[in-house]
Amino acid sequence: MEEDIEELVVRYRPIITFRVRKSIGAQNTDCDDLVSEILSQVMEEIKNGDFRGESSLGTFVYTITSRRIIDYIREKSRVIKYAPEPEPFPDPQEILELREASEKVQEALEKLKPKYQHVLYLYYYQELSREEVAGKMGISPRKVSELVNYALKLLRKEIKS
Amino acid sequence: MKKCKYEEMIDGYLLNKLPARDKELFEEHYFSCPSCFRKLQDQHLIIGTIKNHPEALMREEARNLVPVMTRLKRELSAFFSLRQLVMGGITALVLLAVIIAVVPRREMNAPSFTLTDTDTVRGSSITLISPVIDMNQIPSFLEWKKLGDNVEYQVSISNDEVLWKLNTKENLVTLPDEVKAKMVPGEKYSWQVKAFGPDGSLIAVSSRVQFKVSTR
Repeated sequence: MEEDIEELVVRYRPIITFRVRKSIGAQNTDCDDLVSEILSQVMEEIKNGDFRGESSLGTFVYTITSRRIIDYIREKSRVIKYAPEPEPFPDPQEILELREASEKVQEALEKLKPKYQHVLYLYYYQELSREEVAGKMGISPRKVSELVNYALKLLRKEIKS
Repeated sequence: MKKCKYEEMIDGYLLNKLPARDKELFEEHYFSCPSCFRKLQDQHLIIGTIKNHPEALMREEARNLVPVMTRLKRELSAFFSLRQLVMGGITALVLLAVIIAVVPRREMNAPSFTLTDTDTVRGSSITLISPVIDMNQIPSFLEWKKLGDNVEYQVSISNDEVLWKLNTKENLVTLPDEVKAKMVPGEKYSWQVKAFGPDGSLIAVSSRVQFKVSTR
């Protein structure tokens, strides 16, 4: 059982962290606490037999995460509506890792052929739709998807290497 | 490997373009799909890097320009709203149009100048070689650097007034005895060379160099 719980934490912590940061902001100092609270609640409910296997474990964890995020936002807006925001103090190790990963991506982006660079710039930086990118580049929207997907494939390969 | 149908939603989710219902569906999905979550993390990193470093997607010359432009844009937007910037731009254009339309175009006269012995000009110059320092005796010749073929030089020696003047195509002249005889030790003299092209136009002027003949 203990092993199962450890596995559960290893598997779901990054997913819950991603979801929490996307919802309340990566710079929010409450992120880590909220993630820990959610994980505790998940383990607690599993121990209490609240997870009966009617849905997948992923859906069960997702439901608890979403509910807890909504509660947090409600509490936050009620309790400290007019209080100043605390200064963010991100984890230096995490910042270092993120910076290194980002540098690797930058190098990979610079190595791409101009057509891939152009399509990524229009699609991700300017946030144009596939149709708009197609119009600007004089190609079909399908071709835009192909170029974006292939560029992402190349980038993922570089990141993993 | 079969592609998960939810993968199509990753971009929309990260760029906040998904409708609320699809967003929830995708969020629920990636809690159960390790493949989609891995791709979501990778794409999050890639998009974040592109957003923060768009210069990585540009050629070398444009790459250096982007941080400056981004900074300028950020600084401008800190002071002015978009509306103010647009209005400012329109006002500047209107003012420019008024200036071009209203201010009369005046015909400018071509500049003219005359050169006297005491004037100097900037531009092409002639380098004087000798004499350029005080001399122990009255110099026997005057020498300067040659400018080219088909150039005529006018060399002159002055005291309070022009003592001697000569036109030559060489860059070295021997001082005639009658001129030497006019020069008095202890006095200050100056000399200068002007160069003329084949059509007689002035093309270069040397600086006026002074020298003194010591009283030995």
